[in-house]
Amino acid sequence: MLGKLMKYEWQSTWQLLLPANLLIIVMTFFACMTVRLRLIDKVDNDGIIFGAIMILVTYAGSMFVVMIGTAIYLIYRFYTSTYGDQGYLLHTLPVDKHHIIIAKVAVSTAWVLFSSFLIYLSVVFIFASEQGVIPELIDSMENIAEEFGGRPTFFAGVMTVVAFMIQTLARVLKVTACLSLGQLSPNHKLLMSFAYYFGIYFLQQIVGSFYYAFLGLINSKMELYYYGRPWEITLIASLVYTVAFYVVTWYTMEKKLNLD
Amino acid sequence: MTPIVQCRGLTKTYGRKIALNQINLNLERGRIIGLLGPNGSGKTTLIKIMNGLLNPTAGEILIGGISPGVETKYKISYLPERTYLHPGMRVEEMVRYFQDFYPDFRMDRAYDMLSRLQIAPGERLKNLSKGTKEKVQLILVMSRDADLYILDEPIAGVDPASRDFILHTIVQNYRRNASILLSTHLIADVENILDEVVFIKYGNIVLQAGAEQVRRREGKSIDRFFREVFAC
Repeated sequence: MLGKLMKYEWQSTWQLLLPANLLIIVMTFFACMTVRLRLIDKVDNDGIIFGAIMILVTYAGSMFVVMIGTAIYLIYRFYTSTYGDQGYLLHTLPVDKHHIIIAKVAVSTAWVLFSSFLIYLSVVFIFASEQGVIPELIDSMENIAEEFGGRPTFFAGVMTVVAFMIQTLARVLKVTACLSLGQLSPNHKLLMSFAYYFGIYFLQQIVGSFYYAFLGLINSKMELYYYGRPWEITLIASLVYTVAFYVVTWYTMEKKLNLD
Repeated sequence: MTPIVQCRGLTKTYGRKIALNQINLNLERGRIIGLLGPNGSGKTTLIKIMNGLLNPTAGEILIGGISPGVETKYKISYLPERTYLHPGMRVEEMVRYFQDFYPDFRMDRAYDMLSRLQIAPGERLKNLSKGTKEKVQLILVMSRDADLYILDEPIAGVDPASRDFILHTIVQNYRRNASILLSTHLIADVENILDEVVFIKYGNIVLQAGAEQVRRREGKSIDRFFREVFAC
């Protein structure tokens, strides 16, 4: 049943999110051409300069819209299909609640990662369009890393990517947990979900501050620890949050479902 | 044989408001049962608990001898009072969806009913009228070979001309050893197909009896009797 749930989750989301991600590719192409051809430096032609600026502004705007739009759409989709009218069908299917959560969270996380990856690649391409920028960037990053904890290794690079993926998963689950807690309220369910989100965010900040303060006590070179192996802290914290938010989502969906 | 539904002291509260008050109820198999009561009497709350969409505050409910969960969802075919179909999907996609998840779904029966109602399978749900969407939902629900059909206000949103077709569809398409629990306040339209009636008022069961028995004992139709019991 998990496979079937995932299939329908893909089918429900790709029609909007695939074109949105194609927009990133198209806008990257135009922005790269603008940088590569140095259109912005054509001081003798105001029309070309204006066009080039417009392309770069549209490029930056489209990245922002796709990133925010994807997040809003996925939140809306989770809410309507799980706790809105469509939830009446979802929760009367003969499927385990774990499967429902896994299908929805896996597909949402995959879309967020895919969009993030495309945006990251897009920025790399833009920099690469300007000769000499990428080597300079790598040099400066290596210098920073050496100053704080030595040269970054391949292992550290892989672990940074893994930590980012788990962090994205934790963020998606944080949203599902907040929407699940919000539906417990007899009214103003969405408003309550936002309240839970900001409440949890605030708690996370406090926990984070205490954690760093503790590290500072046991390690006088805390900055070295933090900047040298940033993925460790991200990975551990994200794993803890992933488990916690998953349990909250599952518990409320299984034991406290409250469809209007 | 175990009753298809057993409630023992079933209670649901929303804050101080009592929606269901220690309900004890057994529903037998092979019967068409009318769950009748005015708005806010607790009909939909009881139905949602049967389907696992709400959790009771106290008491116990069993469907075919087991608590609501994955297993009971194989047994129940549920028509809610609202549209639960994905508006972006086509009718034929919804048919496939039901076939994918419910092993007892009969695709031939669904297409037969769609054709008799002249609903195009390729039509997107968002392009259909509210009444047609409700008919599609009913077709999907009645195309299953379930043990219990729970239909919450199945005729409330459709025109009077379509009501006969819907009631005919309901009666023709359920298995003879299955039960139908039909919640409505349009009693005159449905009373002829009911074997049994359950009256619910302020979260309490005030009557459970055979439909014919009520008509004979009271000397009037169930609709008339209902109006007397629930007169404001």
